[in-house]
Amino acid sequence: MLCENCKERQASVILMQDTPNGSNERNLCEKCAFNLQTFSISPNQEPMSIQQFLSQWLSGSETLHQQTREVQTMPECPECGLTFHRFLEIGKFGCPTCYETFRERLPKVFGKLHNGNTIHKGKIPASFNEKMTIKKKIEELRSSMQEAIQEEQFEHAAVLRDEIKDWKQKLAAETEEEGGSENGE
Amino acid sequence: MGNNRYMQNAVTGWMVPHGEHSDIVMSTRIRLARNLREFRFPIAFSDEQAEEVGRIVSEALLSTDEKGYSYTRMKELATLDRQALVEKHLISLQLAEAEQFGAVFLSEDETISIMVNEEDHLRIQCIYPGLQLENAYQKADETDRALEKKLPYAFDEEFGYLTSCPSNTGTGMRASVMLHLPALTITRQINRIIPAVSRLGMVVRGSYGEGSEAPGNVYQVSNQLTLGKSEKEILAELANIVSRLIAHERRSRELLLEKSRIALENRVFRALGTISYARLLPAAEAARCLSDVRLGIDLELIEDVDMTILNELMIFMQSGFLQHYEGEALTSEELDISRAKLFRERLRKS
Repeated sequence: MLCENCKERQASVILMQDTPNGSNERNLCEKCAFNLQTFSISPNQEPMSIQQFLSQWLSGSETLHQQTREVQTMPECPECGLTFHRFLEIGKFGCPTCYETFRERLPKVFGKLHNGNTIHKGKIPASFNEKMTIKKKIEELRSSMQEAIQEEQFEHAAVLRDEIKDWKQKLAAETEEEGGSENGE
Repeated sequence: MGNNRYMQNAVTGWMVPHGEHSDIVMSTRIRLARNLREFRFPIAFSDEQAEEVGRIVSEALLSTDEKGYSYTRMKELATLDRQALVEKHLISLQLAEAEQFGAVFLSEDETISIMVNEEDHLRIQCIYPGLQLENAYQKADETDRALEKKLPYAFDEEFGYLTSCPSNTGTGMRASVMLHLPALTITRQINRIIPAVSRLGMVVRGSYGEGSEAPGNVYQVSNQLTLGKSEKEILAELANIVSRLIAHERRSRELLLEKSRIALENRVFRALGTISYARLLPAAEAARCLSDVRLGIDLELIEDVDMTILNELMIFMQSGFLQHYEGEALTSEELDISRAKLFRERLRKS
């Protein structure tokens, strides 16, 4: 069946709306469901789709009152306008910035989906890898510097401070380089 | 549409029996989901952004050392041709439905396909025959590394590769192995195995991933988790489960031969008779018979049928390919007639 809104893509979401004249059902594609301001969505694909999974979780333990209050204080992604509530309904992020916006709430979501796991342990793109190595190095030097200060080895601490400064410059250069190549495209 | 090279042959790289356990494992597939940092995901991007993503990815791919990719936009393909690509497992159903902005890059031997603007900006897929998890991952990883040098990927220190669906976040990797498990199905052991495997963080599905029905006793086993485990760990766990399934299937086959040889031979040769002489062949029956004949070949009960022909028929018997072959849209009865004719022709003893 084609989406009732765009009439181009396949409909994969049933959107149900309660109106004064009774309940109203529309068949939409994911993209239109994402864009339309709606109240409640239940997908018609698999027995337990990710959308269902997430929305059941939202409506599960918390009382309606708590939920309403939650919804009002929920953050909205500045890049694509997705709210956290809406994310739970459709089960999809709208853009990479959503991850940043919802960061604090995500471990709970990922924990449910990935057997309690919330942190990436796999491959890291080479460019990020360099930056992450530098950041780690800076962290290490900082804690050594703190130790040196505690032990009143101030000369050593000063050496470490200069080293940290060098690494910070390198990190800034890395970040800039990336920005530069993007502008070049 | 007839001059597209991927439409001319049903047999593609992954269908020529090759690799370890190729009597049970039909193919191995690795899929990596990747996105560009500066763009909204396909579910929310504008038409201009969609075009831009397509352009940036094409440029990046053309500037890598990876040569010989063909580029096809979904909007340039007829619906039947898109369906045939799905039936050949070269693109996903979702990409076939992304009419406006979806596109695919296919390597010459069709083992690598890079889908653009599916659920994510990029889906790198590598499909190999037989059980080759490490080789397939290596190839997908190589392609990913080449692209990563040119494309600013959306990646986060805490969450890994950022994807549109939270079930892919982290490695963005889905590794799956397609297995032919007739003996486990005949003896109904599969019903107990599926829930056991899912407790180990893996999913078992029918070959096209739609629900749990398995036409032709072909199952797909894949990892469910993408977060908290490295690619290597995921591949090792999947390999472990697959090798247990293989051992189990082999034991059940031996038992069937030992305990009910005549019943098994009867079933296998009846199936061969059906696909060699039927005049109407519905898809479900064709899939069931192909599975039985394949089992017959594996157990050396049938000796004069080539496995490659069976693999080809498995793809050709689907409605998209049949209609392409006949050059017109067919009704369901016409499809059954055309399918029966195709089987008779391909199996005719020369």
